[in-house]
Amino acid sequence: MRRERDHLRSWRGLTHARSTWRAACVLIMPFALTLLDACSGAQQSVLDPAGPQAVRTDKLWWLFFYVCAFVFVFVMIALFLALRRASLWRDETASARGVTELPMLRPAPEKERRTTNVIVGATCVTVVILFIFLVASYSVGRSLSTRMEQNNKVTIEITGHQWWWQVRYTDSNPQNIFETANEIHIPVGVPVTVELKSQDVIHSFWVPNLAGKKDLIPGKTSILWLRADHPGTYRGQCAEYCGMQHAHMALYVVAEPREQFDAWLAHQRAPASQPTDDSQRRGQQVFLSSPCIMCHTITGTTAGAHVGPDLTHLSSRSTIAAATLPNTRGHLAGWVVDSQGVKPGNQMPPNNLSSEDLMALLDYLQSLK
Amino acid sequence: MSERNVLDVSALPYHSFESDAVWWGNVGLLAIETTMFGITVATYFYLRQNYQLWPPPLTSAPNPFASLPALTVPTINMALLIVSCAPMIMVDRAARRGQRGTARVGLVICLVLGVAAIALRWFEFPAVKFRWDSNAYGSIVWFTLGMHMTHLITLTLETLLLTIWIFIRDFDMKHRVDITTVAIYWYWVVAIWLPLYAIIYLSVRF
Amino acid sequence: MNAESSVIEKQREQTKASANQSQHQAAAEARLDRRELDEERDRRELERTWADGRGLWAWLTSTNHKTIATRYIITAFVFFLLGGIEAMLMRVQLARAENSFLSADLYNQIFTVHGTTMMFLFAVPIMEGMGLYLVPLMVGTRNVAFPRMNAYGYFTYLFGGLLLYGGFLLHTGPDTGWFSYVPLAGPAFSPGKRVDVWAQMITFTEIAALVGAIEIIATVFKQRAPGMSLNRIPLFVWSQVVTAFMIIFAMPAVMLASGFLAMDRLVDTHIFNPGEGGDAILYQHMFWFFGHPEVYIIFIPALGFVSTIVSTFARRKVFGYTAMVLSLIATAFLGFGLWVHHMFATPLPQLGQSLFTGASMMIAIPSGIQIFCWIATLWGGKVRLKTPLIFVLGFFAIFTLGGLTGVMLASVPLDLQVHDTYFVVAHFHYVLIGGAVFPLFGAFYYWFPKWTGRMLSERAGRWNFWLMFVGFNFVFFPMHELGLKGMTRRVYTYLPEMGWGDLNLLASIGAGILAIGVVVFLANVFWARRAGEVAGDDPWHSPTLEWATSSPPADYNFVHLPTVQGGYALWEKTVDAPVVVGLKTDCREVLATNVLDAEPDHKYQLPGPSIWPLMLALATAVAFVIGIFTPWAFPVAAALAFASLAGWFFSNPNSDNRRVKMTKPRPLAGHAQAQASEGQA
Repeated sequence: MRRERDHLRSWRGLTHARSTWRAACVLIMPFALTLLDACSGAQQSVLDPAGPQAVRTDKLWWLFFYVCAFVFVFVMIALFLALRRASLWRDETASARGVTELPMLRPAPEKERRTTNVIVGATCVTVVILFIFLVASYSVGRSLSTRMEQNNKVTIEITGHQWWWQVRYTDSNPQNIFETANEIHIPVGVPVTVELKSQDVIHSFWVPNLAGKKDLIPGKTSILWLRADHPGTYRGQCAEYCGMQHAHMALYVVAEPREQFDAWLAHQRAPASQPTDDSQRRGQQVFLSSPCIMCHTITGTTAGAHVGPDLTHLSSRSTIAAATLPNTRGHLAGWVVDSQGVKPGNQMPPNNLSSEDLMALLDYLQSLK
Repeated sequence: MSERNVLDVSALPYHSFESDAVWWGNVGLLAIETTMFGITVATYFYLRQNYQLWPPPLTSAPNPFASLPALTVPTINMALLIVSCAPMIMVDRAARRGQRGTARVGLVICLVLGVAAIALRWFEFPAVKFRWDSNAYGSIVWFTLGMHMTHLITLTLETLLLTIWIFIRDFDMKHRVDITTVAIYWYWVVAIWLPLYAIIYLSVRF
Repeated sequence: MNAESSVIEKQREQTKASANQSQHQAAAEARLDRRELDEERDRRELERTWADGRGLWAWLTSTNHKTIATRYIITAFVFFLLGGIEAMLMRVQLARAENSFLSADLYNQIFTVHGTTMMFLFAVPIMEGMGLYLVPLMVGTRNVAFPRMNAYGYFTYLFGGLLLYGGFLLHTGPDTGWFSYVPLAGPAFSPGKRVDVWAQMITFTEIAALVGAIEIIATVFKQRAPGMSLNRIPLFVWSQVVTAFMIIFAMPAVMLASGFLAMDRLVDTHIFNPGEGGDAILYQHMFWFFGHPEVYIIFIPALGFVSTIVSTFARRKVFGYTAMVLSLIATAFLGFGLWVHHMFATPLPQLGQSLFTGASMMIAIPSGIQIFCWIATLWGGKVRLKTPLIFVLGFFAIFTLGGLTGVMLASVPLDLQVHDTYFVVAHFHYVLIGGAVFPLFGAFYYWFPKWTGRMLSERAGRWNFWLMFVGFNFVFFPMHELGLKGMTRRVYTYLPEMGWGDLNLLASIGAGILAIGVVVFLANVFWARRAGEVAGDDPWHSPTLEWATSSPPADYNFVHLPTVQGGYALWEKTVDAPVVVGLKTDCREVLATNVLDAEPDHKYQLPGPSIWPLMLALATAVAFVIGIFTPWAFPVAAALAFASLAGWFFSNPNSDNRRVKMTKPRPLAGHAQAQASEGQA
């Protein structure tokens, strides 16, 4: 009975808070708040899978999560029990009893043997758990890397640039090859092969809802395959630090039913629409007579450079500046005039245009559906 | 003052040839250097995977054999290095036995051979047909040669200091132990060169 | 009396037996005896011999391991505070979406400098500093084996740190991440001198680490107190030895990597340039071949703190000494076999990946065994809940969690999802702060009395612990969730619609709490230096030899070197255990024992104060600082280095002392009595 009380008092000594309960609340808060937040959604999430790879990884995650949570709780309980079991030494009581010497404890050998058995047992359990983890993760890993049915026709070549994604839809017919940027369309339920390259530094292609990431390495080509099982728009982001604007190098993957996808494909393959009114014509002139053509391509015009994103169907895309801004007239204007203010360090120079020229240019760019 | 148990070590000798702290320090250093060369060799073979022809062909000469490193000077130098172990063994033994005269003569011979090896190494660089800034092949080979040359220079300078010491100061126990440590370092510098030589000059020929 | 003499008899027999085997002549052996010792006279003499003197010159020339180690610890702690300030700035920037507190350029410099500081300028040096202070004391000797090299190591470390922060203050702070991947860090994409500052700083600090490692190995293998055979080496010393070996095999890789990087940038080599046959992935292999063991280089000394503190405050031997030592060694070995798990996202063959998954998971086994053994130690102990132990209990909670997320990261599919996200940030802060910083703070509380002679406040200690513990979990636990929600690392800002704002705000608040905890610690230190309770030699009733001398220890550590009768030297000390006599007190003489059994073998004299380490460090600085601007700095530095080494070589050990005395050695304390008692025996 007395020992019991000693323990309680010393636990209070450990916390030094007025009540252990309040301390426990503070302790649990970060965990509770985090778990609470887990319920709210996010734009891109590992735990909201929409493709077979992400689904398998998600399942694997929950296996790991529950087992690890169990192990953690088990270790903490063992530690807690060890502290409760151990007789606590407190200087005040000791000196009151006149004890000042602190001899080394020499536990009984048979007790030590029992403890050894427990530890060996715990170690064995650890090994078994790790082995299960290893097998589970190996089998998931294999299913991720073996490509699905080989009859897929969609191959997308993605080249990383500081700080945007160049996207090229390849085709056996060279007429059908076209380029776009920062927005990928894929048909729902069809595996798509993605070839990843880099022009400058290392980037990493990651669309959490669909699959794990893969690095884009200069001088090498990495292959990734993707499949979206539900229509939707999935956000992805560069995951390997690639310089100043690494934070603003995102993209969208739009998964749509086959017919819609085919329509999109046909539209993208077509050259840019010609200007239809005076303002657009003037805008085209502004475009073609300014430094814009040093970097950008608009098929069907003389602009054919590949330093910056292809603008042939600029207005069909929902964002600009690598999914940094929504593709609205205002943002587009801001970007054309002062892109450095929006995304400092990017390669696009500021453009000094008269307001009429700017309006005309915007009219033209917005006509590039 | 009261009596107590003591362990009297006053009779123990100063320094030991078998396991002086300096010996351990030296071995630690050699472990670091060996790792360094090991990783250099790994780098060499890693880069080699990127090439179809290693060394890459020279743009000036279409014959692929023209880009192979020349063999004569490097082989002479390696022979010289191996030979230099003989006087070092002599010095090593003399230091252990306390023969100051032999140690002096041996050290001077070693110094001469060391300087000769460094001088020859200078001509090994042009024997490689590329500059350090031509391509990755040139970079890694120059680096390996340079690293080893740095060790040769360090070693020769260390030997020089010891030689000066035993000529103008004592042939004391501490410096005799130092001599045996330098000897180990010397053997190591020669030994590490054997695989490096084989890799740089011979492996490209097969 | 009877028991005592039988002990002595036994030891005498042992000494004789070993002497027969060794090649020494019969006369050249250590003898057990009974003597009268003149402690006071020896003390006075040793004080004179081992004093470094006062003033600036003495400061620049000191070779005392405690002085050097204290500098390491204080310097590293200052860097810890600087790294912490950088962390706070980052947390302010990330507290809400699209914050404009820091520009992209500045943020990138700050996170790079933060990581570099914490890894290279704080964690490794402070662990080495702890080792350099405590190991000679724990093994019972007077100084490290190469005192001047030790001083040299500190100066190179200091210069490396100054280089990094000099660059940072001149707006030339590196901005390519603490691992500076090529080609981003290569000449094409990082013009200017920023990355050069990083690469050369690495070389500086690695030199210091390597020097420290050799010190530890030579000191532990050669200078242990008689009787401290391998199986009696304290676990902390073991952890330092294992770390030292890891440093020896890991650090060369990063020195080469940073060296190649510097060469690519400064003299146009192409090792990492894919355009000319070089390879960007090669850099990653080299970096992580160092980078992963690095984590264990930081973490294993902390395991030593934990073992020490647990056994002291549970008042019993650590459960399973052999298992603990083998676990340390196994961790060290496995630590070299899992570097590829940092590179799962690069195109690598599948089979290779699985091997590294296996190795990465296996490393959980030795860690698990150690945790089980510590819990068993507490279970069977008589526990005193003092601040050092409380920090260790915090370590158990945090480190276990971090270790478990580590197992998750070893799995390729999971890693591909959470790699380079805040999940990883959370994981390694749990492992490094939980695994190393919490034990380190425990160690500060534990050894502070030894360093200063005064106790830190227990009350402030509780506050310190709880603020740090709660604050820590507030900062880093939400980051797991952020990572799963797709927040990538090294982003200077994020868009509001990403839904990361709340957790980031929580983390930033937590950072404030954590920082207050550190401030409490600092206040505690400053208060205790003046007004702390006087500690006495051994306030915790500890088992290891550093507590057998005064607090703070004298320059010479022990008046008479102790002998050791068990693994827990002070707890298992026999009555009237012999002390070592016969070492000269008028020069810096130490005893060398053999590697396995620590039997007295020979003696040598250690050098006294010397300016040449500083000179050599300056030559090194010329090479690596001026070398950023011109490669011609290297030949100049080589000449300077040779001059310094020549000075080093020819300056006599103990020369200062010799000038004063050394005329004729005075007879050893109680030599006459010794002969008398010899006759009686």
